[in-house]
Amino acid sequence: MIYLDHHATTPVDPRVLEAMLPYFTEAFGNASSRTHRFGWEANGAVERARKQVAALIGADAREVIFTSGATEANHLAIAGAAAAAPPDRRHAVTVVTEHKAVLEPVRRLAAEGWSITELPVPASGLVDPAAVAAAVTPATALVSVMLAHNEIGVVQPLADIARVAHAHGALVHTDAVQALGRIPVDVRTLGVDLASFSAHKVYGPKGVGALFVARGVEKRLRAVITGGGQERGLRGGTLNVPGIVGFGAACAVATQEQARDAARLQSLGDRMWNALRAQVEGVALNGTVAPRLPGSVNVRIPGVEGETLLLGLTDIAVSTGAACLSAEPSHVLTALGLSRDESLASLRIGLGRQTTEADVDSAAAHIAAVVKHLRATAPVAGVRG
Amino acid sequence: MYSTAVLERVRNPQRVGVLPDAADVGTGEAGSLDAGTWARVQVRVQDGRITDARFKVFGCSAAIAATGLVVERLEGATVADAGLVTADRVVQELALPDERAHVATLAVDAARRALQDVQQKPRMHGCAETVEG
Repeated sequence: MIYLDHHATTPVDPRVLEAMLPYFTEAFGNASSRTHRFGWEANGAVERARKQVAALIGADAREVIFTSGATEANHLAIAGAAAAAPPDRRHAVTVVTEHKAVLEPVRRLAAEGWSITELPVPASGLVDPAAVAAAVTPATALVSVMLAHNEIGVVQPLADIARVAHAHGALVHTDAVQALGRIPVDVRTLGVDLASFSAHKVYGPKGVGALFVARGVEKRLRAVITGGGQERGLRGGTLNVPGIVGFGAACAVATQEQARDAARLQSLGDRMWNALRAQVEGVALNGTVAPRLPGSVNVRIPGVEGETLLLGLTDIAVSTGAACLSAEPSHVLTALGLSRDESLASLRIGLGRQTTEADVDSAAAHIAAVVKHLRATAPVAGVRG
Repeated sequence: MYSTAVLERVRNPQRVGVLPDAADVGTGEAGSLDAGTWARVQVRVQDGRITDARFKVFGCSAAIAATGLVVERLEGATVADAGLVTADRVVQELALPDERAHVATLAVDAARRALQDVQQKPRMHGCAETVEG
């Protein structure tokens, strides 16, 4: 089974695991314990990790708030900014193709009487900064736009979006989970106030993430989880020391290897797309060709039914628009204008650090063989362009 | 999730194909592409017996398996016995989940229409249709 679902999660890099292991056993201290060596040691490890994460995103260590993952980071950014927003700013702008971990907390604001704008996107999947400019008003508290997309891999013109949002004094948040370690992420160049990250998408462990909070923006944020005052009062709860150490180590590896990884994945992604185009008649890319995450290929395959395609692909692990027996099409693909059938018969292919050329060739051949088999079963008219 | 009976019929379907149009060949369809499932069954009937049965289907795995099973049961059966292939038996044999049981009805409908089609065609050879057993 070839793993091609790196948007979903990545394996922990052995170097990361090695860095984490001591913090489960001999160095088990609570990073908040100030009175003994165990606590100091854990605290030192957390602060080292904070610097490592900050270095990868171009931030200061003090601007990194550790969380349990990106979903929590999104909630701290959205619900936290909303809770601290002045009474005359009760409008939020986001995009219809955002991850549910952004859409849900934003929609929760609507239930609290906020006005919400969910911007549509064209077939490219790209947000037009002019559309953001048209939506933002002096009443806008927050604009949240994903940097690189988790399903279709397209990279948004975030710096331009941030500029127009800031013109009206809104805070700018980005879910940058998929971008981290795959393309250069520099929070200053992007000009964002808040950015969510997750360790397990960058060859780190699950259960740990971070919210970048630009200096000064912490005053415009209220903690969602309160308690022991950890993380500068923005996120209560005992720190997940081994997880944080792993996140730091994963970022340190990415700082060294991101450029090389990206070049290799770009070439493998092109190889996959070209192989599919050559072997699967009618295959089409979902979302724009560029700018796109390297190694991220989302295709629709006409003339096959999504669930059957999914069950047929026994040799590769990919994500499809369909889940067995609960075939709800992806809200992202339908927002791009795809029909229900097209969305269901789409494959998200995410290549990663371990993927080889042989994996790509063999996966493309497998997809082509399964599609050929299914099309032979279908009535002639079932194969629609 | 699906039974191994369904999965095996999807991975290795038998009697997929098309019978060229002829006086003794009937074609029946059910469902539609827009609705997400479309089944087509064809039968060749000679002397009251179904000598060949073929299918094509666009749809979920349950639809492929159900139509495949119906066609397998039809081939070799007499026209009279064809009625014994019911949607309930298909659901049972393939252990179809409730929410996919309708595809069995679809497959059986396509088969019934195929038999009606051949019976409505003008007899070229004038052979009497025998009803057996």
